[in-house]
Formats: sequence, C-alpha cells, structure tokens
Amino acid sequence: MSVEVVDMETRCVTCGANLIGTNYVAFPCPECGQMIYRCKKCRKLANPYKCSNCGFVGP
Amino acid sequence: MEAKTEYEYLVPPDEYLAAGVHIGTQIKTGDMKKFIYKVRPDGLYVLDIRQLDERIRIAGKFLARFEPSRILAVAARQYGQKPVMMFAKAVGADYVIGRFVPGTLTNPMLKEYREPDVVIVTDPAIDRQAVQEATAIGIPVVALCDSNNSASNVDLVIPTNNKGRKALALVYWLLAREVLKNRGVEEFPYKVEDFEAEL
Repeated sequence: MSVEVVDMETRCVTCGANLIGTNYVAFPCPECGQMIYRCKKCRKLANPYKCSNCGFVGP
Repeated sequence: MEAKTEYEYLVPPDEYLAAGVHIGTQIKTGDMKKFIYKVRPDGLYVLDIRQLDERIRIAGKFLARFEPSRILAVAARQYGQKPVMMFAKAVGADYVIGRFVPGTLTNPMLKEYREPDVVIVTDPAIDRQAVQEATAIGIPVVALCDSNNSASNVDLVIPTNNKGRKALALVYWLLAREVLKNRGVEEFPYKVEDFEAEL
C-alpha cells in the first residue's frame, strides 16, 4: 500500500485556509518572487496579503 | 547630521502631473483608500504619485518573471487600446482590445482561446469579463485602478487615473520600460507619444 504525501504548506497567506483543487491562485511575490497563495474568498473580498519573506503588502 | 536621501522617480514628478496620472474621481472605495493622497475642495480624490511610481516598479518586476508570450494585456476602453497594443508589442505579450469574448480564457473551442499565465487589465470594472475568467482559471490579475475601483479579484493594484489618454500612455510606457529593464534589456526605442491614442 502506498502512502500519499499531502502538501501541508499550501495555505492561504491571509486567512490560513487549506487550499484544495482550483479554489485559489498562486503567484510569485511581486517584490521578491516567493510563492504567494490566495484563496478565492480572500481574493474576492480584496483582503490584504503579506509576503512572509519580504513583507510586501498587496493587492 | 544625516543627509536625507530623496526618492528617485522613474520620470520627473512634473511629467506625472502633466499626464494627469494623479487625477482620480469623485468616488472613493475602501480598497483604494491607502493610495489616495488628498481630496480637492471640489470633491475630486487625488492619487499619490509616489505610490504609483513604486507600484510600477513592482509590477515591472512581477511581469518580468513570466514568459513574454504568456502575458495578456486587456483594454476595452478606447483610450487604453493603443497603449495596450504598444505595451504588448514592446514586451512581446499577447493582447485583447475592444470586446473581450466570453470564453477567451475558459473555452478551448473558441478561435480566440488563449492560455496566459498573468492578465493585466486597464480597468477592472470595464474589463470584468477578463478578471472573472482569470479568476476562474486561477491566474493572477494586475489591474490599473482608479479611486473608484474595487480591488476584488485583483492581485496587484497599480493606482492611477485609468481614464485619461495621456495617463494611460505614460503608465503603459513606464510599465513596458520597467519590464524590459528587469529582463536585462536596456534599450527601449519607444517614446511616450508612441503609446498615446489618437484623439
């Protein structure tokens, strides 16, 4: 029996929600290039995100 | 005594002001509040050109990370069409001007179908179809937002006047120049006038 490795890192940078399927967007931080994950809800509400690496605040 | 280091703008601030990039609208949204410099006695909100300058640099850096052909620039607005075409030509991107056919990003059966990695829109309110489809396929959206725009479904806001002919030309010109600069291309053969739409 094989054990699947679940990526626990994929969480919304704003609300911390687990991101599954296509319900999110991932893009490199505009400032430093570190990957940023935003869930659909936070995008829709335009909730600010902060890069954990450089501190860039968007959108 | 410490010497104050002055912020260096991409173009002289007077050029920004002459193009009217700072002119907002009489409506202010909560999302755009942080980009507003002041409100004029006639009720017009004035955008902060310093933040615009910083955002153009950031957006240039951001767009330079993507493959040129996978960038899609969109403009339905009349005065945004020429700047978008020139921007796309300068950076090697794809563009859609005029009507954004529903399904352009989501329906592979259409002849207009394309698969970009990032979308840049001129006005998220007018180009809402493009924003919606980009959201549906899960790609980031960069938007030129005025004081009356919402940042809903937008990943990077460029706070500027997105209605003026000269303002749009200057912003897209600077953006194209920044993208090429970040790719390591120093030569930029275009002038701001080349990006301006005809009257």
